[in-house]
Amino acid sequence: MSRSPDSTRTGDGGRWIAATASEIANAVREGKVGAEEVTRAFLKHADHTAERLGTYLHRMPEEALRAARAVDAKRSGGARLGLLAGVPVAIKDNIAIRGIPTTCGSKILEGYRPPYDAHVIERLREADAIVVGKTNCDEFAMGSSTENSAYHPTRNPWDTSRVPGGSSGGSAAAVAAREAPLALGSDTGGSVRQPAAFCGVYGLKPTYGAVSRYGLVAFASSLDQIGPFGRTARDTALAYNAIAGPDARDMTSRAEAKPVDLSALESGVKGLTLGVPRELLEAEGLAPEIRSCFDETAAAFQANGARLVDVTLPNAKYSIATYYLIAPAEASSNLARYDGVRFGLRAPGKDLREMYEKTRRQGFGREVRRRILLGTYALSAGYYDAYYLRAQKVRTLIRGDFMKALAAADALLLPVTPTTAFGIGEKVEDPLAMYLNDIFSIPASLAGVPALSFPAGFGPSGLPIGLQLVGRPFAEETLLRVARAHEGWNDASEKAPPIAAEAA
Amino acid sequence: MPIDAGTVEKIAALARLELDPAERERMVRELQAILSYVEQLQAVDVTGIEPTSQVTEGDPPPLRPDEARPSGVRDEVLGQAPDRDGDYFRVPQVV
Repeated sequence: MSRSPDSTRTGDGGRWIAATASEIANAVREGKVGAEEVTRAFLKHADHTAERLGTYLHRMPEEALRAARAVDAKRSGGARLGLLAGVPVAIKDNIAIRGIPTTCGSKILEGYRPPYDAHVIERLREADAIVVGKTNCDEFAMGSSTENSAYHPTRNPWDTSRVPGGSSGGSAAAVAAREAPLALGSDTGGSVRQPAAFCGVYGLKPTYGAVSRYGLVAFASSLDQIGPFGRTARDTALAYNAIAGPDARDMTSRAEAKPVDLSALESGVKGLTLGVPRELLEAEGLAPEIRSCFDETAAAFQANGARLVDVTLPNAKYSIATYYLIAPAEASSNLARYDGVRFGLRAPGKDLREMYEKTRRQGFGREVRRRILLGTYALSAGYYDAYYLRAQKVRTLIRGDFMKALAAADALLLPVTPTTAFGIGEKVEDPLAMYLNDIFSIPASLAGVPALSFPAGFGPSGLPIGLQLVGRPFAEETLLRVARAHEGWNDASEKAPPIAAEAA
Repeated sequence: MPIDAGTVEKIAALARLELDPAERERMVRELQAILSYVEQLQAVDVTGIEPTSQVTEGDPPPLRPDEARPSGVRDEVLGQAPDRDGDYFRVPQVV
């Protein structure tokens, strides 16, 4: 065990809490430990942390143990086990699991149980992973703090008075608190990368089209991607390999999405060119602690053989305005299906129209209602050209900037967030201030290119700082290789938050 | 472009979203703040630029035949209905 096993021991089998997914999968495949023992250890650990942090909307201990026993039986039967043999995985609550409540953190889906598994869930089962629960998120993935969940907030494992980020805050917190070595989230404008940065773990937003969204509840269809959280670059690659690739049920999923070659992750950064978008770093509000971490990290890459070049993304400054037209417009269309007719909440009304209006008023939270109205406005007659169509054209310019920059560099290095995790309640009353935090994560979403948030250090207050690598389409391997090299001289990803050890 | 209570009421009706007067006033303020911010896009020169509706690399997505397939989950789907009548979803009076 490479990662201080004693700090998070929980008795028999407890040493597995500190193990990586790669170590667990190897041990289970080789019969050194059973999937059931590993699963029990993680479930027990999460019993101590999950309520305090509010990580889950629905835990699945019985289903997890049943799945673990099936994996163990498969091995005793002589079958070769999959990529994630016996590895517990937490799933964001906007990803469908057959028969298990899937609410997207919304009252409008309270009680809904999907009659099917998402593609990524099928793939995890094929890989012999163990699904342990549905994690909390901002309602319909709209938010950057997980405070917009209709059920309860999630707390940052490093400081429980702070947010874990969002919208996939429960998944990031679960991995940081060692409740599971891996988790899945979804990223539309930064919803995997930003909580990963706030919680000190890895978070990958794959290339648009790399992972099938079949079974992911749609928010903004031209941007949504499912992505993994992990505690090491290698684990994140393993999870990506388990879920990536084409699927006939999502027409945007692409055969170009190839598994990452795990041995290539060890190649170092020598000979690679990293682009630094200087003008973005001058963006208003970049905290000095993030800036100095960025400068140190860039210097360390250079010292280890990478070449640094300045690149320019002149249109990136329009990203937030572009995103907050395109995403709400697509959301207003996608969320039209929640009408109280076939599933979920229905409020009584004297006629059909009143039933629709009351159901949607009661079922959707304030941020979702705000975005539905904004999107409906941007798409409505008379405003479509000025808002939605214009935003789509600016999106073309932003994507062009990335393609140009990525022709000159193998990957770009940028911050993930302007600050470390902010306090619970600090920004809830000012939606625009919340949106402006997304300045570094949204551009890659609009460009459709892969982006990885990796743990790079800690601020003076002890909160994690994440930095971001952005790559060429389907070059996830390059990003993970650069991050893996960074692990060689930086131990930020090895530190556990106090709550993970206290629970032991 | 300024947004007023009447416009918010109109888009709320289009979105089938009930708004009480207090929320309507708040939405006017919040949407106005967001719309003032996105106004900066009007200054970008987009002459001759094609819109990006979806980012796809390489060949266009392959097409599959448009054929009905059994889902096998009819009862599970109907079982989630807030109100049903046999194999039908029941809704309040339409007209």
